[in-house]
Amino acid sequence: MAEIRFFGYLSELVGTRIKELRLEKPVTLRELVPPTFPETNIIILINQKVGDLDSEITDRDSVVLMPVLSGG
Amino acid sequence: MNGYGDRLLRVDLSIGKISKETISDSMKSDFLGGRGFAVKILWDEVKNVDPLSDKNKLIFAVGPLSGQLLPSAGKMVVASKSPLTGGYGDGNIGTMASVHLKKAGYDAVVLEGKSPKPCYVLIEDENIQILDASDLWGKNSFEAQDLLEKKHGKNSGVLLIGPGGENLIRFATVMSQKGRAGGRPGMGAVMGSKNVKALVIKGTGNVSNFDDARLRDLGKKGYDEIKGKENYEFWMKQGTMQAFEWSNENGCLPTYNFREGVFEFSKEMDGYVVEKLHAGRKGCPMCNMQCGHIIKDASDQQAELDYENIGMLGPNIGIRSLPQAGTLNRLADEWGLDTISLGSSIGFLMEASEKGLIPEKVPWGDFEWAQKLIVEIGKGEGLGKLVSQGVKAAAEKIGKGSEKWAMHVKGLEASAYNCHACPGMALAFGTCSIGAHHKDAWIIAWEIATDRFSYDKRKVEKLIEFQRVRGGFFESATVCRLPWVEVSFGLHWYPVYLEAITGEKRSWEDLYQMGDRVLNLIRAYWKREVPSFGRKWDYPPDRWFEEPQSEGKVKGMKVDREKYEQMLSWYYELRGWDQNGIPTRETLENLGLKEVAREIG
Repeated sequence: MAEIRFFGYLSELVGTRIKELRLEKPVTLRELVPPTFPETNIIILINQKVGDLDSEITDRDSVVLMPVLSGG
Repeated sequence: MNGYGDRLLRVDLSIGKISKETISDSMKSDFLGGRGFAVKILWDEVKNVDPLSDKNKLIFAVGPLSGQLLPSAGKMVVASKSPLTGGYGDGNIGTMASVHLKKAGYDAVVLEGKSPKPCYVLIEDENIQILDASDLWGKNSFEAQDLLEKKHGKNSGVLLIGPGGENLIRFATVMSQKGRAGGRPGMGAVMGSKNVKALVIKGTGNVSNFDDARLRDLGKKGYDEIKGKENYEFWMKQGTMQAFEWSNENGCLPTYNFREGVFEFSKEMDGYVVEKLHAGRKGCPMCNMQCGHIIKDASDQQAELDYENIGMLGPNIGIRSLPQAGTLNRLADEWGLDTISLGSSIGFLMEASEKGLIPEKVPWGDFEWAQKLIVEIGKGEGLGKLVSQGVKAAAEKIGKGSEKWAMHVKGLEASAYNCHACPGMALAFGTCSIGAHHKDAWIIAWEIATDRFSYDKRKVEKLIEFQRVRGGFFESATVCRLPWVEVSFGLHWYPVYLEAITGEKRSWEDLYQMGDRVLNLIRAYWKREVPSFGRKWDYPPDRWFEEPQSEGKVKGMKVDREKYEQMLSWYYELRGWDQNGIPTRETLENLGLKEVAREIG
């Protein structure tokens, strides 16, 4: 089961903070998020390694999508 | 030059002398305003003095953008030679005083000397008075704000100190509007040392902008752009508190005196809890993306939260309740103490207690102890006395290895980002111009988005780029950086705003150079004022090098000292500094700082 977690406003954009998906075959991350999903100012970590929307996600992956924040 | 009041107001408190001086065009074009003005004045006028003596000066300065009807422009810089670090110290504060100072026609106020008795300074356009503050002295910053507003009306800008500043606590800040604070490295203590409780500013004039109609139009477009940003609505719900969950996920949340980067109770106090407890919002003038979120605290009073203060007064001291952290934050504001340094100081005491270095038993997460300590620190009494000069001084007193986990750089306590696995952010803290603060360069998100574990030169170049924009431009302009950094408001707006204000075109390249001039002058100031200043002052605490994080996704990580050395060497090289971190003659001369080069050799 692949797990995709969304942080900050990205969670509101997709309507959930966590998605768990059974993937029969690898798909790109782009196929798993809405078409309006931002391309810039976001952090994409796939199993803690930096990825992008065209990275392939397998059934075993843990994905984190976060906005680039400042924290004050 | 348009957009400036063109005047500096000087108040000699020792003899009650008031003078108004013209600010030169070269000062304005070379140093822009705010931080730039402050460091230039300090360089010229405050040399080798005790920061808490009457020879030090306290500077309040605005820039061309400050106080204007522009996004998040209600800011001002307060600066002085720091009693906490011994070097350059400043901070920006969001306050109506910024708006009123511009309207009164001044770009800077310099307080010098020392009043023979507690006083406050009233600035009403041309009418300046030094008034008795005996009824205000001893009052907390909320009570004193109310009393001053009652006396002078709500339509005024008030800058004041709490008892922490009066008691010369080295991380006392300047406060405004019951919760806005600025000047982490003890600017409140400098104000207290001069027997000044407050500045009350009432300006009624107009700022002479080059093209007012265009500026109004551009300002409106800017506000509209911010409101239209895709993350705006979420920002309004959580503000900087969204960073709480973010930092915990990335192993950066300051936890148990920065020993860890994840907190087991983070879900009990993150931005979603703020949403549930939301009781209002507070912010600075001219802002349409207010960052202060109000909740009812554990004492059933209103407390304003943001990420830094909750990170430092929550997980960093083991507090697991948002209302409790809110109470601690409100107390800090009332006493006029910097919340970041305060959280670090309490964390230091709790760890010292755990290790048996002090006799008192101060358990992690003990709310009663934390409240008691804030009062003791504010008074400089009891156990609080040990940390009332900061954790660096406290570690020097108790020794026994505590200097390794006294979490500071240059004497200023680190703000709320654990850097075990963020070497770029560690370097940002190491090279920040006032000590371990995040304002000059918040590179942590960029490095996590690219490659957090790398120590490459690109990271150092990016750090310098951030410092130019944030520490150089925003601090001197003087406006809030949050529209840019939080909702991606376009940087291209700022030169356009400047042109409508001053009538002069300035490119980002030109503004970068101005920023470099300001940051190099600050560096030179450190060199002149601190005899031992050099490379050894640019390192983060040993804890991040020597004690790996034991929990979370970056478990086992620590900063590699050798690689940090390499990054620091690149940093100096890119900055045009020698390998001891001192600007070279050539660098200073290229920035038009020939006299400075001569003075620091």
